[in-house]
This record gives sequence, C-alpha cells and structure tokens, in this order.
Amino acid sequence: MPYAIRNSHIQHLPTLVANQIAAGEVVERPASVVKELLENSLDAGATEVEIEIEKGGINLIRVRDNGCGIRVNELALALNRHTTSKIKCIEDLESLSSLGFRGEALASIAAVARLTLISHFHEANTGYTLQINDIQEMSEPVPIASPVGTCIEVHELFYNTPARRRFLRTPQTEFNHIQETVKKLALSCFNVGFSLKHNRKVLTSLPPATTESLQQQRIAKLCGQEFLEHTLDVHEDREALQLHGWISMPTYSRSQANMQYFFLNGRFIRDKLINHAVRQAYRDVLYRDRHACYVLYLTLDPKLVDVNVHPTKHEVRFAESEQVHHFIVATLQRHLATTMPKTEENTQPQSIVATEPEKITKNTESTLPSLTYHIQPKPTRSAVQETLQTYQTLAAPNSSKITVPQVSNAFESEKTENFTEKITVPQVSNAFESEKTENFTEAIMPPLGYALGQLLGIYILAENKKGLVLVDMHAAHERITYEQLKVVWQTKKNNDVQQLLVPETLSLNDQEIATAKQYETFFKRLGFKFDFSDKKHLLILEVPNVLQKTNIGTLVQDVLADLIYLGVSDRIEEQILTKLASIACHRSVRANHQLNLAEMNNLLRQMEHTERSNQCNHGRPTWIQLTQKELDALFMRGK
Amino acid sequence: MYFEITRKELTNPLKAVVSTIESKQTLPILANVLVEVENNTLRLTGTDAEVEINCTVPLEASIGSDNDGAITVPAKKFFDIVRALPDGAHIQFNQEDENRVVIKSGKSRFSLSCLPAEDYPSSPEINSTLSFNLMHRALKDLLAQTQYAMATNDVRYYLNGVCFDFLEDKLAVVATDGHRLALATEAFDLAGKETMQVIVPRKAIIELSRMLENSDDSLEISMDANHIKIVLSDRLTLASKLIDGSFPDYWGVLPVNPNRIVTTQTGELKQALTRTSILSNEKFKGIRFALSLNNMVITSRNPEQEEAEENLMVEYNGEEMEIGFNVTYLLDALSVMTTKEVTLHFIDTNSSLLITPKDLEDVKMVIMPMRL
Repeated sequence: MPYAIRNSHIQHLPTLVANQIAAGEVVERPASVVKELLENSLDAGATEVEIEIEKGGINLIRVRDNGCGIRVNELALALNRHTTSKIKCIEDLESLSSLGFRGEALASIAAVARLTLISHFHEANTGYTLQINDIQEMSEPVPIASPVGTCIEVHELFYNTPARRRFLRTPQTEFNHIQETVKKLALSCFNVGFSLKHNRKVLTSLPPATTESLQQQRIAKLCGQEFLEHTLDVHEDREALQLHGWISMPTYSRSQANMQYFFLNGRFIRDKLINHAVRQAYRDVLYRDRHACYVLYLTLDPKLVDVNVHPTKHEVRFAESEQVHHFIVATLQRHLATTMPKTEENTQPQSIVATEPEKITKNTESTLPSLTYHIQPKPTRSAVQETLQTYQTLAAPNSSKITVPQVSNAFESEKTENFTEKITVPQVSNAFESEKTENFTEAIMPPLGYALGQLLGIYILAENKKGLVLVDMHAAHERITYEQLKVVWQTKKNNDVQQLLVPETLSLNDQEIATAKQYETFFKRLGFKFDFSDKKHLLILEVPNVLQKTNIGTLVQDVLADLIYLGVSDRIEEQILTKLASIACHRSVRANHQLNLAEMNNLLRQMEHTERSNQCNHGRPTWIQLTQKELDALFMRGK
Repeated sequence: MYFEITRKELTNPLKAVVSTIESKQTLPILANVLVEVENNTLRLTGTDAEVEINCTVPLEASIGSDNDGAITVPAKKFFDIVRALPDGAHIQFNQEDENRVVIKSGKSRFSLSCLPAEDYPSSPEINSTLSFNLMHRALKDLLAQTQYAMATNDVRYYLNGVCFDFLEDKLAVVATDGHRLALATEAFDLAGKETMQVIVPRKAIIELSRMLENSDDSLEISMDANHIKIVLSDRLTLASKLIDGSFPDYWGVLPVNPNRIVTTQTGELKQALTRTSILSNEKFKGIRFALSLNNMVITSRNPEQEEAEENLMVEYNGEEMEIGFNVTYLLDALSVMTTKEVTLHFIDTNSSLLITPKDLEDVKMVIMPMRL
C-alpha cells in the first residue's frame, strides 16, 4: 500500500468531485447529454423538440421543448442531485411511466459543463433563466422572454474533466452518436416532432407522426426507404404482452447488427434476452452470419420489469423472462412463416393461412387455363434445347402423355391431380396476344404462375401476372422437404430416445450440475436422461435418437452455459433442426435433375403452400421476380 | 541400390504394405514406401505413423551385396506401375542417384522421385512384456465377431478400436460404440503372466482382419504398454501403436440374469428384420419387438405413416412385452452369428438386450433399446 494512502484520513468528498465521479457513469459523451435532456423533454410532455448542436456537441448542445416547464422556485432545485418530479417514493418505481427517475441527469451534466437553464412554466406569466458558473455557483433566476417550455444549453462539455475530453472523438463522430440517440427517441415517440441542427444546418426534421402513413414516413426517413419496403408488420396483442412494429424479411439482412431497435414500454433497450429471442426466431431463414433488422415495441405491465439495473437504463430485468422470450420468438416466427409466395402484398399472417389454400383450389377448378406459350428456341446450350424439346412434346395438344407427377409426400395428391388434368389442355397459341393473356392471368394465375421450362438444369422459369419468375429448384425443394420434416418432428410428442450402453461422462462444476438438476424436465422433454449420483460428474444415460453421431457432451455443456447465462436455450432444437436440414438437403432434387412441366408446376404450388418458402434453409432466396417493366427496360421498350 | 523381381512376386506384398499409406499427406515421406535390400532379401515397409506393415520377399537372382541399400519411393505410384505391368513382367529397380529411382520392365521405363530412407519413421522398438502364439483362424473369428461394434471418430477416443483383454484363463476381445457392444472370448492360458488390457486402434484392426487367413497357421503377438506387434508369417508383420486409455468396464454392462429368453432361427430373424427395416425411419431405423407366447411380432413405421409387420414363430414362454431397437444394430450383430439358432435375452423394456449363439457362451452381443 502506498505510503500516502496509509496515512490519509477518511473524509467526505466535496460535492463537485462526487458529482463529477457520478457524471462519469451518466455522461459519457455528448450523445449521453442529448439523451438525458431529450428524455426530460419527453417526460415533460413536449410535442415539439428542437436540438441544436455545434461542433459535435463539444461546443454547444441546446435542447428546446414545448413541455410543461419548471416552476421558478424549483429551477435551482432541479439542478441538484437526487431531485426529480417523476417519482416520489420507491413504490413509484414499480409502475414507472416516465423515461427518467433517478434525478441525477441535470446535476451530472452541470458538474462537467457550463449549463444555462431557461424555463417558462405553463402556468406562469414569464420565463426565467439561471446559470451555473465555473465554480459551481448558481446565479439567481432572472426573468427572460421565452415561450412555454424549457430550453437547456450545455456549453463546453468536459471543460473541467480533461481526461474525458481527451477521449472524445472527432466532432463528426460525436455528432453521429447524437444522431443515433435522436433516432432512437424519434422511433419511440411518434407523436413528438423532432428537429436536429448541426452547426446551424437543419439535418433532420420530423413532424409529429400521428397517422400510420406518417409513421411509416418517419421510419423511412430514419431507417431508409429500402428497410420499409422489405419489412413485415408485426402486431400481436396478448393480455399481458403486446408486441408491434416492423421486422425485416429474411432476404433483407445486414452484415452488422446495427439496425435493431427494441423499445420496452417506450424505452430503447439493448438486452441479451431479446437479442437471443430475435436470433432464434430468424434461426433457419437468415443467410449465414447476417443480422435481421427490426423496430419493435414491446408493451408490458411496468411492474413486471425492472429498469433500474444500470444508470443508462439500456439493460432491464424481466420478472418472467422465459415467458417474454417465448412470446417474442413465437410471435416473430409466426410472422416470418408468412414469407411465402402470395397473390397480394398481404402480410397479415392470419388471413394468409386461412384463405390461401381455398383460393387456389377454387381457382384451379373453376377455370380452364389457356396457357399461351411463346417458344423461340434459341439454344445456346444443348441442355436447354433438350429441355425445350421435352417441353414442346409435353405441351402438345394431345396431352394424355403427361403423367401425374410422382412427387413424394405431395400435399394432397387429389388436388395435384385435378390441377394437372386442367393444366394439360393448353391451347398453344402465339404470345403477344396480350388481352387473352391478361384475362387468363387475372382470373386464375397463382402467385408463382405456371412453369415454362427448366434452365441449365438448375432454375425453373415460370410466368405469372407480373412477368417472369425464376426459381432455384434445389433451394425451393429443400425448403419444402425441410418444412415437412419439421412438421413431423414437431407433431411428435417425444423424441425417439436411444439409451446408452456406456454413459457419456461430463465433468462439470457445482453450478452446472445444479443447473442440470434444475432443468431436468426440460432435458427430459427433449430426450435426455441424466444420472446425478456422482457429485462432480454428470452421466448422460439417454440421448435423442436424432442427435446420434453428434458430440453430445459439448452440446449439453453449451446448453448448460446458456441456461446459466440466459435462463433459456434452444441449442438442442437448433442441432436437431440442423440435422433435419441436412436430411432435407440430401432428399431434394439436385441440379441437372430433369423435371417435366407437371413436376415443375407441382413444385411451384407446393412452394405457395409452404411456410418460409421465400428462402431456403440457409437463408438464400428461392425465387425472384423479373417484372415486365424490368424486362422492358432491358430491351428499351416503350422509351 | 539395385534389384530384380517378377511382377507376380512383387504385387501382393506391395499391395499389403501400401494399404496403410494414406495418399493425402502433409508430410511427403509418409506417402512413400520404404524399399530395402539386404542379404538377397527385399523388405517393403509402409506406415501412417500409427500402423506399420512390413513384408519381406526373397530375391531369386543373386545380385551381390554391393547392390544392397534402402530408399523410399511414392507408394501409390510405385504400386500402380507394378500393377499395370503385364502378367509375366520382369522388373528392374535401380536407384540412379540420390533423388531418382528408375524402374524398367521390357520396353517400359519409369523414373520416380525418391526420399532418403533415414528420414522414414522407424519401427517401434517393443520391449515385449507379453508374447504368445495364436492361430490365424482363431484371431480372425474373434475380430469378425467384434470389430463391427467399434466406434468411428468418437470423442471418447478409447472406443475407436478393439480391446484385447488378456485374462487368466481366456482372451476377451471386445468393441463398443457406446450404443452396443460385441464380446468374443477364446480359451487362453496366460501361464502365470500378469493380466493385461490393450486397445488396438481401428485402422490396425481393419488392416489386420484383411491380412488374417482362414488357416491353422500360428501367428505371434508381442506387446508392451504402447505397442503391439503381430508376426503373421515369417514374411508379414504388422505393428501398431496402442490407444492410451482405459476401456469401459464391459463386464458391468452385460445384463444380469435376463429372464425373458427367446430362441429363434438366425436366418429367419435376420430376413424378417431386413424386410421390416425398409419401412422404418430411413435415417434413424427404429423397429419394435412385441413378444408373446412362442411368437414375436416385429413392426416398423416411418414418418409417412407406412407400416411393416412381421410375425415370427419363436421359442418363448415369458411374459408379454414390447421393446424398441435400432434395427441396424440388430442386423450387424446377427450378420456375424455363425450358429443356426440364436438366443435373445431380455429383461424389460428399458434394459439392454443380450444376443448369444444358442448354447454358446463365448460370443455376446449387447444392444441398448430405443424408446420410440
């Protein structure tokens, strides 16, 4: 121990030093100041907030709102530590509806910057201003002309804490952080207008968004138009929990997890439980290490969540974390299941599931399709020529040749049969009879249309209402087979279990053993049986049959780690699904597998009935649309 | 170094040796075969640094001791050349300089790169702690009845091989992959020496069972704590490292006093299982036995809800019971049964099944059930 410490006395720290230390937690960089001030404005019921920044917030941060303002006699008090109007007793914390509650934001900011406070209380006649000078002394409130509301100016941030000041980045970087902060709050409060100025230039101006279309405009402004175009609306209302917002389609993903906004009761949070839930929901639809984008709002009883975990309030604790986790996973999975070819741009899951199959059955029965083909064989490769020849013979009027496709495990073979009977009476006529084509397409065209032929032994070409559809045959079939296997697996109550002759022995620590015991029923449901007779070791007596030949020991250890860290784990399911996916892959048609038209059409119909069929098991898209417009553009038609 | 030999004499020894050598190697010399000439004898050695096979061939033509020497050449290429030569071909093998070997035969000429023999991994020295003789046929049978149950690439490395347990009055050969176990014993007199248990790695077992013959010839086995050496004949030797680990207590997993005994024809049961397996889940192969008086029903069902059912007349007078198994394990065990009839010893739905040849005690197969 250094001599100096050994001989010094214990004493109270001066208030300024205490405040500066405390400020270290709350005020990390200019963006944290902006966050605290904006939260105060929003808690004051403001409907318009102006933010002015100079030099990345290092020179000046000014936040002006039209909220309720502060009474003149409370101005000085507001700058003290542990003073707030948001809660009065600890019970208030349990049903918190404001963003702030700790009562230390202003005091912390004042400790590390020069602060000017102007406020006009809504019941008072005039506004007052108050300043804190260098030696932390407050001036007396002076009347000043000001609109109702509060304006706080923060000059020269960290002027008295050079260590912090050294760690500031360039003004542009700091401003980017501020922008991100404003973005988060703007996403959480649609009814408030925001304007953000940097160096006297208005960079963001967001009017209050009260209607749905205005809200979408705001999302487009903040997250980009492209995000909005590739989202699924989420809306789920349970008694205790409500989740709504937007999530990205699996085919629209990012390499970084940076467009993920989760709001809990209007507060932005970054929580590992939530992250895990979202990742799990996107498990088998996202490509490799890509990340989903989302703006989600979860509402639940404030009593069931503790936000007082960290001063910045980014972390929370849920009373019923498992339930919240399950709710988010189930909701998102249900919405993601709707990523399949559809007739209309309808993303409401309920309606799709209910009506789609009927619609298709009815359609195929009601009308006789008169397929119009336009065959101009211009073979560049022999394979294509062959395909086209097969196709020509198949499409010939004496269609009796066409056999019912023998696709194993077809959905309902009867329906398929009906469908093929009808489809095999095509009138081969010349294309460009647009009228006829249109009539036909409008009447019965299923979302993916009808197959025209096979390309390179890999792709199926099909024509639908909008134009050309290209389907990756293997990817599509893989997803269909996978979903069928999944259904079989999920409907089975218990996994098949293989008992072990020689138990697997894991040496674990006390905590892991205790966790394994605690979650014994969880493991049992999945097909594991443990023996705890040894204090230091866990014996695995039974394993799910599906997981044979996988490294069971590592898996169980990883699952235990998850359970300790998160309280939930989906690794076992994940492993099982991976196994199923690889089975599906081997069972699916491969490239260069020649399909006839009936088989191709059947595949397209199956895709329309298969959940998540817009992407394969690995998250790659299964089909793309080339619209007539896009095709016309290629040939400069109509220009 | 120089020698001459006929293709016929060279092919088989070379084939035996080359089989241990992995063609894909990070260490180039391990893809080579060691060729040595000494005292009018040709000696070929192949190794993958774990298993080594060594074969000698006497040379006919007297070539003189000044042609003695040792060199390594690419194994696969050398063997392919020899194999592709015409039947009665006469081969001349000549080392021209430090890194070139020329093989001539009639009008063909091949020049191969070579590496010095000193760099070749040397054979393990065995300070034999135990050595004994055994008949080819006996070892071949022991391995045939057990090796199918070895694990492949299991993290429990000690399961990736066959355990030889030298007990006082018998030799027990046993293999398990953690799901099933195969045990075969042979009367054996340890003659007062210390008992010993060794695990021979999978690759050595596979090579060994390929080289064993169905004859009454004797072979000599010697081993120490880390190595085993098997002299199959005066020309052919296999040496291998041993797996360092302790094999699970296999006596402990044998069912104790099974009381539900089924006796049936091996062939009939096997055929019924083969048919039933067609409609079991193609990946996980579950089937179900239902036992009743002198009757056994085997059923299977796949995810497409297709079903198979086989009725089999058996000798059984125990209580009725049902139990599930992985049919692959059952078929593996039955395939190596040599007797016409087998006995299945059950305890209950959750306990392991013991299969033995009827009235024989020296072969035991244990299979854990599956809950379907």
